[in-house]
Amino acid sequence: MDLQGQNGLETTFREGWRSRNWLAWIVAVVLIAFYVDLYFTDHLQPVAEALGLRSKWFVYAALYTLAMAGGAVYYLRKHGNSRYNRWRIATNLAVQSVLAFTLPFVAPLFFSPSPSDDWKYEYFAASIWPLDWYSMHPSVLGSIPLILALFTIVSAFVIAPMAAYFFGKRWYCSWVCGCGALANTAGDPWRHLTATSTRSWKFEKAAIYPIMFLAIGSTFLLILDAVADLGGFWHQVISGGDWWSMKSLYGLVVASILAGVVGVGLYPLFGARVWCRNFCPMAALLGLQQKLGRFRIAVKPDMCISCGNCTTYCEMGIDVRSYAQANESFTRASCVGCGMCAHVCPRGVLRLENVKNVQRDKARVRLPVVDL
Amino acid sequence: MRIVIIGNGVAGIEAALVVRQREPSWEITIVSEESDHFFSRTALMWVVSGQLSQRCIEPHERDLYARMELTRVRARAVGLDTEGRRVLLAGDLDPVPYDRLLIACGSRPRPGPWPGADLPGVGHFVTMQDLEWLETELHGGPSHGGRPPRPDAHLAHTTEGSPYRPRPSLFGARGRPRAPAVIGGGLIGIEAAEVMVAAGLRPRFFIREEWFWPIAIDEAESTWVADRMREHGVDVRLEENVEALEGDDHVERVITDRGEYECDHCVVAIGVIPNTDWLGASDGEGRPRGEAPALDDGGGIVVDAGLATSADDVFAAGDCASVPWFDGSRRPEQLWYTARAQGRVAGRRLLGDRVAYDRGVWFNSAKLMDVEYTTAGWVNLNLEDERNWFFEERGAVRSTTRIVLSGERVVGFNLLGRRWDHAVLMRWIEEHRSLGWVLDHLAEASFDTELVPPLVIPEEARRRPPAGPAPSKIDPPKAAPRFMG
Repeated sequence: MDLQGQNGLETTFREGWRSRNWLAWIVAVVLIAFYVDLYFTDHLQPVAEALGLRSKWFVYAALYTLAMAGGAVYYLRKHGNSRYNRWRIATNLAVQSVLAFTLPFVAPLFFSPSPSDDWKYEYFAASIWPLDWYSMHPSVLGSIPLILALFTIVSAFVIAPMAAYFFGKRWYCSWVCGCGALANTAGDPWRHLTATSTRSWKFEKAAIYPIMFLAIGSTFLLILDAVADLGGFWHQVISGGDWWSMKSLYGLVVASILAGVVGVGLYPLFGARVWCRNFCPMAALLGLQQKLGRFRIAVKPDMCISCGNCTTYCEMGIDVRSYAQANESFTRASCVGCGMCAHVCPRGVLRLENVKNVQRDKARVRLPVVDL
Repeated sequence: MRIVIIGNGVAGIEAALVVRQREPSWEITIVSEESDHFFSRTALMWVVSGQLSQRCIEPHERDLYARMELTRVRARAVGLDTEGRRVLLAGDLDPVPYDRLLIACGSRPRPGPWPGADLPGVGHFVTMQDLEWLETELHGGPSHGGRPPRPDAHLAHTTEGSPYRPRPSLFGARGRPRAPAVIGGGLIGIEAAEVMVAAGLRPRFFIREEWFWPIAIDEAESTWVADRMREHGVDVRLEENVEALEGDDHVERVITDRGEYECDHCVVAIGVIPNTDWLGASDGEGRPRGEAPALDDGGGIVVDAGLATSADDVFAAGDCASVPWFDGSRRPEQLWYTARAQGRVAGRRLLGDRVAYDRGVWFNSAKLMDVEYTTAGWVNLNLEDERNWFFEERGAVRSTTRIVLSGERVVGFNLLGRRWDHAVLMRWIEEHRSLGWVLDHLAEASFDTELVPPLVIPEEARRRPPAGPAPSKIDPPKAAPRFMG
């Protein structure tokens, strides 16, 4: 039997490991150490060879999938009474295990021999530009099979914006994306640690949009370099192999440090969406498309009791309660549509929905006043 | 202009914000004994279980008072000098002068009428200090979310008998309770039972009536809720009257008309009463000065439709205000929604506007264990020509749908298990819709989350004639509801 909303009470703030105690700090340190080791050393390479995998990235993908599966069990035991949650997590698991893990693994069977020496069959169909910043590089597009190159371009410039228009950015951030899927499974115990203060919101805006412009601008420069064949000094600066080239620095700072070390390493201290909320260029772009589209969180007028469950359990730090108690249906660029605010609301005030005319009923507030 | 508001709850804060929005320069002082920060009283249960922290249940950022220039006094009001226009405070604090005064001091728990109701180990679940007591009783202390700042700042300025005095816990001597009990079959009672379940305990739940919460739900609806409680480990005991609580130096037994039960921790949740016992006329030395606002028999402050009391420039809103009802009677509306609405109206009155409070069609919601409940209109009132159409869904989703008719007209809804947009239901009531029309359009009022299969009512159930009035425990209204005319 389905019950809507949360079934049984959470004990979040009575569990030390979910409340930044010593254990949470140890988990954070271990995660950070793991990511530093993964990105900046080759310690996992022998492990990969011993397991018969092509590279350390397959070891990482295997660990990632396992962590997600374990987290999914944890999540569904708590919130699996809701169909939205069940379908969403099942889709996450399917995308991860099929598109992100199995397909790259069996790709040599379909594209054999490899179209170029550069291509190591590491094509992740669910990672779309600009999240997968490398996928739009001319050198990458040129080295992978034509059908995949076309899919890369179409998914970034046609499928993603259109789906964001019709369904909001949740279609990607909460249903497809691997980062979001890990955050909503293995990272779920810490979702309430996301900061909700005005200060954190100002930081979010000051961080995510510059990175979005950086991702788009640097891709443009890389394409320009390849097409116009700049050569010499400018080629060195844009796409050279030195550590100080734009290409290397973006990879180091955004893809390795912010997405991996900070993004996952800080799960137990600052919640599971640190990367998605503050740094992900894909989330920023989809958020702007979402603002123009049909997705919104509808608020039932006058029914909010200001309890704060929605704001506390919003993993993106949105103060949902401020909208609910003001009777205001809303669309926020940062909302990933995980559905938890509606799930934990004890009065059923919130509903995620896709509607044609987003502003249709903003003014239906009932005032309990008669002017005499 | 000096505005003074007694009470830092939803009615008081809403009024203060309404005033501040229009008058940036008026002095606004909020007198509260209970807490430095406005919090959602309806959310106390989640703080006990640990689902929320203390900070989570505060609807505004803590700098609200500084930003909005609201002065706070953390003390108990002990009397009113309506002649000198001053609020008298406990302890050595100077009286606070006012030009216009709003009393929004809320409710206090109704004390148990039985012998032993004040034994250590027995308490209530209404105030911030009750929360502190219950957290310590069940868990030994607050969660990792901590206590609010300055939890005891009022102790120098309070009096005996205040509901905001901290209550000592038995946890140190007893440890976690082994045999907890809850007395009183209403919303606070089920919340107390639920936080005990979340703490890993199996409480006994003593309910005087034939079924849980008869004021709002009927027997079929209530039986489902009781089943859910039992599934979660609550021992629901219906039609059982408590006669005494016994024990040497702390509670050890509950005696009822059906038996005797071991009990080492007990929450008494038999309702709330207006928190107005301090409201005598006084000049601070026990001598009356001026007329205090008149109270009704239950202690509620008598107000007119404009929330004005019998004293000049003194208004009352929220749980403590006894407001006129449609049938000519008067009583307090002890609900979050009505307190918020009254606070907004009171704010307009403090500004000098001539407005009246008009609640409109009744609505409410609750979550009973894990069953969501929405109501709109006139339900369980035993109207003379009342009929009830009832449908119980048992499939992928379990729900109950009860539609109340007066003559051919739909006048009320009682809905459990699914989510509904009460605003649509209220509009249908105002539009004098028939049962057939409502059943045809019911999907338009659905507020179910995505992917939930829609409610399907089979043709046979649609044709079922509505039965007579649902058995109810409250007296029928003295007059027909006003909207019926």
